[in-house]
Amino acid sequence: MTSFVLNSRVVQTDQPPGTVLLDFIRLSSGLTGTKEACREGECGACTVLLGCPGSQGLVYRAVASCLLPLGDVQGCHVVTVEGLSEGPLTLVQEMILEHSASQCGFCTPGIVMSLTGFCLASTDFSFQEALDALDGNLCRCTGYVAIRDAARALCERLEGVESDRAVRVATLVELGVLPEGFLEAPSLVGQLQTPEAATTPEGGPPVLVAGGTDLFVQRPEQLREARLEFLSRRRDLDFIRLEDGVLRVGGAVTLESFRLSEVVGRVFPTLRDDLLLHSSTILRNRATLTGNLVNASPVGDVTIMLLALDATLEICTPEGQDRRVRLSEFYRGYKQFDLAPGELITEIRIPQPAPGTRFNFEKVSNREILDIAAVSTAMRLVLAPDGTIEDLRLSAGGVAPVPLFVTGLEPFRGRKPEGETVGLLARHVVEAVSPISDIRGSATYKKLLLGQLVRAHFSAEVLS
Amino acid sequence: MKNVDMQMHVRGTSQFVDDLAAPAGCLHAALVTSRVARGRIRSLDLAEVLAAPGVVAVYTHRDVPGLNEVGHVLRDQPLLAVDQVEYIGQPLALVVAESHQAAWQAAALGRADIEELPAVLDPREALAQGMIHGQKRILVSGDPDAAFQTCRHVVQGRLASGPQEHFYFETQRALAVPTEHDTIKVHASTQSPGAFHRHLAEVLGLPMHKVELDIRRLGGAFGGKESTAVWVVAPALAAFLLKRPVKLVLPRNHDIATSGKRHPYEYDYRIGLDEEGQILAYEVDLYQHAGACADISLAVLGRSFLHASGAYRIPNIRVRAVSCRTNIPPNNAFRGFGVPQGTFAIEAAVTHAAEVLGVPAAQLKRKNLAGDGDVLPFGMVLENTNSGRCWETLDARVDLAARHAAVAEYNRTHTDSKRGLAVVPVCFGISFAQTALNQAGALVNIFVDGSVEVSTGAVEMGQGVNTKIQLVAARTLGIAPDRVRVHTTNTSRVPNASPTSASTGADLNGMATKYACEDLLTRLRRFAGQHLGHDDPEQITIREGVVHLAGKPTELRWEKLVAAAQWARVDLSSHAFYATPNLHLDPKTERGRPFAYYSCGTSLTEVWLDCVRGTYRLESVEVVHDVGRSLSEVIDRGQVAGGVMQGIGWSTVEQLRYAPDGRVLTGANAYKIPDLKSLAPHFAVTLLENSQNPNAVCNSKAVGEPPLIHGLGAWFAILDALRSVRRDKDLPSLPLTPEKVFMYLHG
Repeated sequence: MTSFVLNSRVVQTDQPPGTVLLDFIRLSSGLTGTKEACREGECGACTVLLGCPGSQGLVYRAVASCLLPLGDVQGCHVVTVEGLSEGPLTLVQEMILEHSASQCGFCTPGIVMSLTGFCLASTDFSFQEALDALDGNLCRCTGYVAIRDAARALCERLEGVESDRAVRVATLVELGVLPEGFLEAPSLVGQLQTPEAATTPEGGPPVLVAGGTDLFVQRPEQLREARLEFLSRRRDLDFIRLEDGVLRVGGAVTLESFRLSEVVGRVFPTLRDDLLLHSSTILRNRATLTGNLVNASPVGDVTIMLLALDATLEICTPEGQDRRVRLSEFYRGYKQFDLAPGELITEIRIPQPAPGTRFNFEKVSNREILDIAAVSTAMRLVLAPDGTIEDLRLSAGGVAPVPLFVTGLEPFRGRKPEGETVGLLARHVVEAVSPISDIRGSATYKKLLLGQLVRAHFSAEVLS
Repeated sequence: MKNVDMQMHVRGTSQFVDDLAAPAGCLHAALVTSRVARGRIRSLDLAEVLAAPGVVAVYTHRDVPGLNEVGHVLRDQPLLAVDQVEYIGQPLALVVAESHQAAWQAAALGRADIEELPAVLDPREALAQGMIHGQKRILVSGDPDAAFQTCRHVVQGRLASGPQEHFYFETQRALAVPTEHDTIKVHASTQSPGAFHRHLAEVLGLPMHKVELDIRRLGGAFGGKESTAVWVVAPALAAFLLKRPVKLVLPRNHDIATSGKRHPYEYDYRIGLDEEGQILAYEVDLYQHAGACADISLAVLGRSFLHASGAYRIPNIRVRAVSCRTNIPPNNAFRGFGVPQGTFAIEAAVTHAAEVLGVPAAQLKRKNLAGDGDVLPFGMVLENTNSGRCWETLDARVDLAARHAAVAEYNRTHTDSKRGLAVVPVCFGISFAQTALNQAGALVNIFVDGSVEVSTGAVEMGQGVNTKIQLVAARTLGIAPDRVRVHTTNTSRVPNASPTSASTGADLNGMATKYACEDLLTRLRRFAGQHLGHDDPEQITIREGVVHLAGKPTELRWEKLVAAAQWARVDLSSHAFYATPNLHLDPKTERGRPFAYYSCGTSLTEVWLDCVRGTYRLESVEVVHDVGRSLSEVIDRGQVAGGVMQGIGWSTVEQLRYAPDGRVLTGANAYKIPDLKSLAPHFAVTLLENSQNPNAVCNSKAVGEPPLIHGLGAWFAILDALRSVRRDKDLPSLPLTPEKVFMYLHG
């Protein structure tokens, strides 16, 4: 049995926890405002708000309901476009209407939800954050000009509004961004009488689901009936802290909370923008760093970054023992890695870089946002006071059966990263790879591009 | 006035086919499709499909009660394959099950024993094998051979442009409900009420009066729901056979893999100019990659053919066009309908020529820009184009010379990055090139409470045609727009309707609505005159819902007038018909006047190119377009912006990839349409001021497709940046993906 609040109504259902929320909303609840257009998290038409209990009340995020297993909304508040439409138009709806940011209307409910999610989650109501919030919402009709105008107008209306998280819902209700019903949601959620974890069908080991944003693209039919265990329930794995020179990231941390974490911003200031390239807000709000690692795609953005950053994984065995493995030794072949059945990555440990360390991430994909890289590469570089290379780590994605950690860079130590040295380095990296031609690009392209991206690591912008 | 549907869109209450409450007992259909691109069917094995959970029935071509045929123009497309397959994704059998999921899971279990034949996937190869649709078309005007002899500069080349997936958000779908007396009602997502009505009746073996097709709105279409009737007819067939409601909703990746696309083309061009840069002669061969069935390809080809001269005055021209039959899903209409391809070739030729002459392309374009009085290759004289005025308006807004200078200076001082720009003039003929389609009907009913209901053949798909029609009706009747409601598009209210396409939806249906309203107005004025004791109806007008006599308001208000008229037995319902006058094209001589008028505009696109990584960003898009006296500026601006962005997508990142066997490899996770962050930081749309158009309703001009051509500016601006780096390579093909840009620079 899964219990949650859907808009202003308590719902109890015994549908399989692996049913995607979108199907429950449309088929079982008859709420057809939420649209299905891809079922892969690519378009944003099915975006809903998911409010999860947190220390400051319900914390709302926009998510793709087509990849969200029903069982994982246990104890949460799910808001669909109908939940915003019980009274007069909300401010977001008004702005879309005022700017004619809707044509056929199929993507519009998703855009309403993402912009409302922005209002709930934004730190400063900035226009840039509003644009980031819409990075997973495609529209085939408007050409986005009117949508951008609506987002800008919304931000202007929110300018100067107190952005304190503790009173955010109340503030937004007052501003007409949220209907009053939101104020009742915490008490409705509080009334939900169910165990913390949703019950699942018996038999077989459970499938671990973190964000589900890849699993539910790959094998939704299979997962529908499977026994699932949701890592989002593991509050003990949801932490980010800097301790003894190590950035410790819990195994259930989502990409978006990592990206926006204050401590991550301090230790790795460029990651906030780099991670925008990974996927869209509605996916990053669910997808986890560890999920990206065990997906084991040779081109996973997070994997490529963490390889260069020399991350170590802490793994809990079924017997409850902890073991550690360096990420650079984790992958063994295409989609093969050092994780036995029943083992769980509980923590990612990233050494805090020495002062003056350069980190750079390069990715080229067909479309810049929410697209898989043709080639990606990350670099961590420490320069000696004389400007020579003291320490250098490089990784490359999309060019080998595994996310590639480039070895054999020791000879470059003591040399200045310029001119011929950079050329030799690029050649060294390119010679270490064996890309294949596929829909992301030809093998020749990938090799040549990797060489260029390695050179870009040593551009004046990065080294300055 | 804004699109009236938006109030519902933002609340999620607007209904699309899959949002209609499913009738009790509704079943779900799916298709078993071919995994082989070309071959002879030895047998189908559907036992596993039939045995799968939830399956109710499986049908093949043998179960079709009427004609097993959905060919849109030629009779060459079976609904369900008979003894051969011609493309991967061709429907072999129809599965009906208790749920959508069960139907599609079962369909995947279908097996076909097919003797494979070598598939032809290249248009020139198809042509070499004699595999073409219809006939080759040739248009000659002037004496190109002689003219080329006199040219100072002759430039030639080879080009290609790729396919484009429509990516309408709402995939293909329909819900069919059997009704009494062996009739059937179909709710479908289609642009073609008349043609699909006919397809439905033919396949079911019913007279058309037993089939009712109802269309409320489409979640985008862009041409992709105009001609391929498979997904509307298939659920109707199942519903008819089972006597139960049946719905079919294509899953996204099935839609991408099996539906038609914008046609890829290949081109051979040759252009000749005199010393001053005047174009004297142009010759182009258009090879259309059409796919396995003719579908609507010949009409698309015809438009490319008629637009081969683009926006330019070309005195001597030879155009050869052929539709090549290849073993991929039949390609179909896509916003622009062949014009983008025809325009691409001439734009590339002119750009190439400018390079050889050593002048900016924009200079050649302006010099040769066609305008009023110029004669098109098929003999039509241009009038009321405003082409020059669009150019000058753009120039005044952006200062083209200064922009050119700024780009040149940037490129002189930068090596790791470059900038590029392109000016693209658009000259787009409005009307269906097939004269017969230029007709529309409208039914206007006034109810006794004064509310008005309009039905037309126009299909609302986000372009705002219903809002425009509502405005036309309100304006004509002299009442407020909120008294008027535009009803669904329904074949029982407006029969035999042409598709909503060719940008003509508002032109044709708006005019029919206007006629119907004028008819009603005449009756009401006559009645009002009698009612007020004046027998001269000329003295009666209705303004803002009030009857005026000799220009002065009376006590008689609209709702009273209507009620009194009905009581006095005045007919408050009118059907009217509009056929665009003076259209003709002689297929033998390829001469005539196929278009009512031209839609013109000019745009400037600027890009920034990262030479290290081979990536680029659009910096600025400035569009000036002539929409006549707009019925709704805000709707027209939206149409311009949306069209341009689709053109940009086609020119840049939208790329389909096929496996060697013809399978589509690029599903939703790899076929990328532009996103919000692809939008240029500066994107401005200017609607040309003081424009009149006597050839369309209320002096407006069509706006649906023409602006898409401006999107080509992205391709040409990137090319401009690339050519500033090196010119020792041939022109790349369209789209210019980051991969192609990179390989051009570094390959």
